[in-house]
Amino acid sequence: MRDHAPGARAAVALAAAIGMLAAGCSSGSSTTSSSTPASTQPATSSPSGTTVSTSQCGTKAGVPATGTPITVGGIVTDQPGTSFTDIAFMAKAYFACVNANGGVNGHPINYIIEKEQTNPAQIAAEAKQLVQSDHVVAIVGNTSILECTIDHSYWEKLGFDIIDSGIAPECYSTSNSAAVNMGPRYSSDGAVQYALSQHVSKVVFDQSNVPGTGYIAAGPAALAAAAHTPIVQLTENVPISDANSVAIKEVDDAGPNGAVVLNFTPPQALVILQAAQKLGLENRVKLWGCSTPCNTDFLAQSLGPKWNNKLFVNAELAPPDSTSSASMSLYRAILSQYGSAVSGGVGSFSQMGFTEAEILVHALESVTGTYSVQSVNAAIRAVSGFNTGQLCQLWSYGSYPMHIPNNEDWTVTPSNGKMTTAQGCTQISSVDPQIAAYRKVAGVAATAP
Amino acid sequence: MLDVAEPAASAPQRWRLRRPGARALARAGVVAALFLFVLLALPQLLSLYYVDAMTQVAVYSMVALGLGVLVGRVGLISLGQVAVLAVGAWTAARLLFATSMPYPVVLLAAGLITMVAGTLIGLPALRLRGLYLALITLMLAGAITVVLKTVNFPNGGHGFTGYNGSSVHIPPIRRPSIAGSDPAYFRYAVVVAALMFLLAAAHIRTRPGRAWAAIRQSEPAALAAGINTTLYKLWAFALASFVTGVAGGVLAGAVHYLYSIDFPTQDSITLLAVVLMGGAYSLWGAIIAALLLQLLPALLNNWGVSADWLTILFGIGVLQVLTTAPAGLADQAPRDLARLGRLLLALARRLAPSAGGAK
Amino acid sequence: MPSWQDFQPFIVSGLALGGVYALSGVGMVVLYQATGVVYLAFGAVGAMGALIAWSLTHAGTPGWVGWLACVAFSAVVTLGYGMVFGPALAKRDPLVKAVATLGLTLVLFGVMDLLWTTSGGRSRGITLPTDNPAFMIGQIQVTWTQVIGLAVGVAITAGTGAFLRYTKLGTAMRAMANDREITATLGVPVRRVEAAAWLGCGVLAGVAGLLLADLVALDATTLTFLVISSLAATLIARLRSITLTFGAALLIGLVHDLLTPIQSLSSYNDMTPFVLAAVALLVISRRRVMSAASREEA
Repeated sequence: MRDHAPGARAAVALAAAIGMLAAGCSSGSSTTSSSTPASTQPATSSPSGTTVSTSQCGTKAGVPATGTPITVGGIVTDQPGTSFTDIAFMAKAYFACVNANGGVNGHPINYIIEKEQTNPAQIAAEAKQLVQSDHVVAIVGNTSILECTIDHSYWEKLGFDIIDSGIAPECYSTSNSAAVNMGPRYSSDGAVQYALSQHVSKVVFDQSNVPGTGYIAAGPAALAAAAHTPIVQLTENVPISDANSVAIKEVDDAGPNGAVVLNFTPPQALVILQAAQKLGLENRVKLWGCSTPCNTDFLAQSLGPKWNNKLFVNAELAPPDSTSSASMSLYRAILSQYGSAVSGGVGSFSQMGFTEAEILVHALESVTGTYSVQSVNAAIRAVSGFNTGQLCQLWSYGSYPMHIPNNEDWTVTPSNGKMTTAQGCTQISSVDPQIAAYRKVAGVAATAP
Repeated sequence: MLDVAEPAASAPQRWRLRRPGARALARAGVVAALFLFVLLALPQLLSLYYVDAMTQVAVYSMVALGLGVLVGRVGLISLGQVAVLAVGAWTAARLLFATSMPYPVVLLAAGLITMVAGTLIGLPALRLRGLYLALITLMLAGAITVVLKTVNFPNGGHGFTGYNGSSVHIPPIRRPSIAGSDPAYFRYAVVVAALMFLLAAAHIRTRPGRAWAAIRQSEPAALAAGINTTLYKLWAFALASFVTGVAGGVLAGAVHYLYSIDFPTQDSITLLAVVLMGGAYSLWGAIIAALLLQLLPALLNNWGVSADWLTILFGIGVLQVLTTAPAGLADQAPRDLARLGRLLLALARRLAPSAGGAK
Repeated sequence: MPSWQDFQPFIVSGLALGGVYALSGVGMVVLYQATGVVYLAFGAVGAMGALIAWSLTHAGTPGWVGWLACVAFSAVVTLGYGMVFGPALAKRDPLVKAVATLGLTLVLFGVMDLLWTTSGGRSRGITLPTDNPAFMIGQIQVTWTQVIGLAVGVAITAGTGAFLRYTKLGTAMRAMANDREITATLGVPVRRVEAAAWLGCGVLAGVAGLLLADLVALDATTLTFLVISSLAATLIARLRSITLTFGAALLIGLVHDLLTPIQSLSSYNDMTPFVLAAVALLVISRRRVMSAASREEA
């Protein structure tokens, strides 16, 4: 005979109700990717004081687009601990702006965002869903640890030219993917390159143990070898539960005249740096470096003044606080008016989304006739020498077997709660064999200023 | 021991081989029809997105089957089945990259190697009972997960691990030549799963199944009756590991790319939750568990609902099953449906006299 | 092989890590001693409390309000769970009771990720006023929070051990964990004693949650599944001795960090809790069968 507890059944139901109620009352949850609401005021002021109207994103100010929608899609990682939805949501915000200001020749853009949890079967299935069920004509905004690896053959077979914010090696080494960012390897190259330029005697490169560590490590290894500087390669399982030992190990290996360069997502990098500070180790090495994910004001604020001119972060995109261009003002305006779902605010993630959307709209505007997979992707491939306003260089797609169109970077450092420029546009060295290979195939387009 | 309730009907028949009666034949007919439908018609009806999801259902139905045998039949809880799946997938991937053995041979090899590993782990662990056994399987799974994070899955490289960390172009894991496309591979997976279910059913209907039932009722009594409990418990571990290893092989071909981040320790907890919810006692429970684990998230993702709701549902499901319905959905659902059917009949009867009276 | 100098800083960080494991390990053994339930939701409930504290502090309330809310939340949820599911599962195997707490863990984990969504660019953090440096050991700075973490672990170990052995309520708790029915017939107010045990554990979970959120990270996944590593310490102590759990936790932390400077083993150091627990269990069970069924080992 079982011990029946009739109260238990009711309690379970009650627990369920409480759980649902509690979750229902959540504020600012980004579980849905519905369109962001537009506020009533169309203009917003940038930090430099000039007023910028978001209507500049489109061709007909204030005229909503009402034609047949152009459907495009994107796949981003979104799981507990790792979320790149900010990039997709910012792209969606850009499209919302364009749709409110004339669309693309009167056609609104319908952006479908698929979220994945680093599950290869799911990622492959979502690609097929976008193509076969949603009938997208372009793929833009992909930001995923695995997607490029899993889907690149599929995109090549169907003739899609992806505009993404790459992470996996295949985002930079295949013919149908061109990224607006540099990705972990080339961004780490930039950080290590800066450290080497400061004449450190040793480099410790520590990265998160997610797929592709060997590929990522090869870049810094080549740079250090060319500079005749010893390099120690480390990896950490994430999420990090013992930041203290990580910080001690890095500092010990680097030595007083060495550099510790990190390649982690912002929360993990923050945990390591804060542990180093709590242990009193931040001055035990000559300098600290970090790849682009660290480039957020949030990190600058969380770290505090001890890291001013101590931590040097590679910036793949223009530092928002030290750049006052029309593009940057437009980015801020769109973010504040349409980007309520972008939880990270001003920072490289949302900048990437902005840039990718910008490039797609530029390509779409050059399409005459119907918007089909063939016509749209031909237009994307034809993008050449486009000034995104967010990168060091002009951006090109082109018909190359590999793409690393963003290969010049800034270096920033925290200063009183903001990231400020420490070094202007610098090319990633061709000592990295992949960079050399790209510059060879792309020719002039690779390094167009 | 986990005392999962068993339907009373099978109790007296435990020691006799049942001759198939009319009811059993009808049931077999229904199962066969369902199987043929799933095999032939389903891939034509579903979009590729759902075909891929259903392939995962086929894979995880085997994993749930293995865990169901352990939990439902023998009363042993293993919190490390996802690690076993990872070992099976690793072995299959290594063989597929390194050799050109035909696919069924690879699956068999993966199953056998995983079976040996699982049995070796089970051997010392059998001195532990109940809670300790569950917790030690969790510990061993944690250890395997850490090793996998460092060793990584094969990706076409050389050496024992077959992992090339610097690859810029990772080759996909191959599929059988007859089942390259997604719908074809789905059918392949369904056939393999059916074979595994038949294997498990064969075990359950014959001596091992009876020994397991005796052990689950009372281990000392089984010992007294002369049953070699250690052997049969190991056999259960071996069967569960073999089936899960084969599932790993099918998974490798399904996804083409394997990563250690896809086999976290906490997935073993979710797996246990769905197996309990689906019904650890019945073979149908394994299929329900797999549907919960793989189809439901795919549906929710399509509808824009966060996967967190599923986690909450599974948590509530575990609590519900353990407190009020230990036999899970597989047992509960037919009973609830029968009750619903009776209610509808009673309602119809109540309405009928008034209709008859109106004439 | 690294020198003694190289190992020294890792001894300090290892003890700090051990203190972290000890907090949740000891908390779980305490409840097991009193109710026979391995409270696997210990980490999840503390994590959610810490997130609530973060939200309150983020909204502008003074720090202590958040901490109080954290402890209160953990206490209420744990007490609620214990009062509802304790009696319902009282006659079942300890394994069933432990798996049930896994159900609670999943519910809390799902709710946490829904309410406090992961953001790509930002993270949450708890800072306590005790984060200031206390003193230096060698070249390593130790913060007051780390000292408090260790001290709380010691206090719980010593205090609860004494409480369970020498006070009337404590004896009643131990009797109940052994056999609820007989204890009830002896006239002990079983439901009240049970409530006290669950409440105490809930308070502990809240305090541990705050400290761990500060010492480790305010991340739902990390904090929830930290219990798996802490379980290793409890298993080495066979879920019986609180002092042994504390010692085992410190040992695990030390070994984990001391492996760091050894190049060949460094990437495997996360295996430490699992390997130590598995080895300990297998060694202990060499001679006899180990079972957690109420009459035998508990």
